[in-house]
Amino acid sequence: MKKRLLVPGFLVLFVFMGMGYTALNKTPEPKTHIVEIKKLKFIPAELTVKKGDTVIWINKDFFPHDVTEEKKGAWSSSTLQKGESWKKVITESSDYLCNLHKVMKGKLIVM
Amino acid sequence: MRTIKRMHILAGMTLMLIGCLSAYSQENPKLSDPEVASVAVVANQIDISYAEIAMKRSKNKDVLEFAQRMLTDHKAVIEQAVALVTKLSVTPKDNAVSQSLLEGAKETKKMLQKASKKKFDQVYIDNEVAYHEAVIEAIKNLLIPESENSELKELLTNVLPALEAHLEHAKMVQKKVSKY
Repeated sequence: MKKRLLVPGFLVLFVFMGMGYTALNKTPEPKTHIVEIKKLKFIPAELTVKKGDTVIWINKDFFPHDVTEEKKGAWSSSTLQKGESWKKVITESSDYLCNLHKVMKGKLIVM
Repeated sequence: MRTIKRMHILAGMTLMLIGCLSAYSQENPKLSDPEVASVAVVANQIDISYAEIAMKRSKNKDVLEFAQRMLTDHKAVIEQAVALVTKLSVTPKDNAVSQSLLEGAKETKKMLQKASKKKFDQVYIDNEVAYHEAVIEAIKNLLIPESENSELKELLTNVLPALEAHLEHAKMVQKKVSKY
């Protein structure tokens, strides 16, 4: 009788241990971050993200803006009119600016 | 020598603009909201007219890019101002300040048209730096304090960061142009 209960008991234990192991090793889901473009500023101007996270820029100004990688122009949104947004999956740290208003600058830091 | 003369003319015009605005502020402490709206629209139209001249006369990439930005952004401000006065059922009212701005602009446009091809970029961008400095002062010290309507005040306040960004952009272009 004891033996018959012991086997299923071990099985259940293994299943729970396996689930716990999977949960511990599971990569956290990528997050989505919002950067508002308001009064000719990127808010927040500096954002720390994890590799694979998505950043969405939303233009809340009535002026058109864009989002462009600063050093080499490696990536760029198209022109964003009021209310329009653009998103990008972030894989590396970069400085960026609005190429239409070059004094508007932002920074992405990948942890 | 010519450069010094040009700088004197620009400095004189800027002082005239600031002088006119501050004198008006002291002598006529009250500008009505329709008058404030008129000054705001005229100030934007003037910079658009300078940019239109630059688009025709300049061949410099930085100057053309800056002028295009002035066209787009100042038109956007006018659209916002028109939308607001329409909403408020207000008609912008011509006044001594807007008339004086237009008179000053006539002289500046003549100067821009007459500048030699070689000197045009420098004359244009020097004027843009001076003009934006003067307009920023005027908005801070005259138009915002004189506005009664909260939405008009808010619009003027929201325009300031753009004008400050334009001023910094103009200074960047000015540095490049002075090296040519």
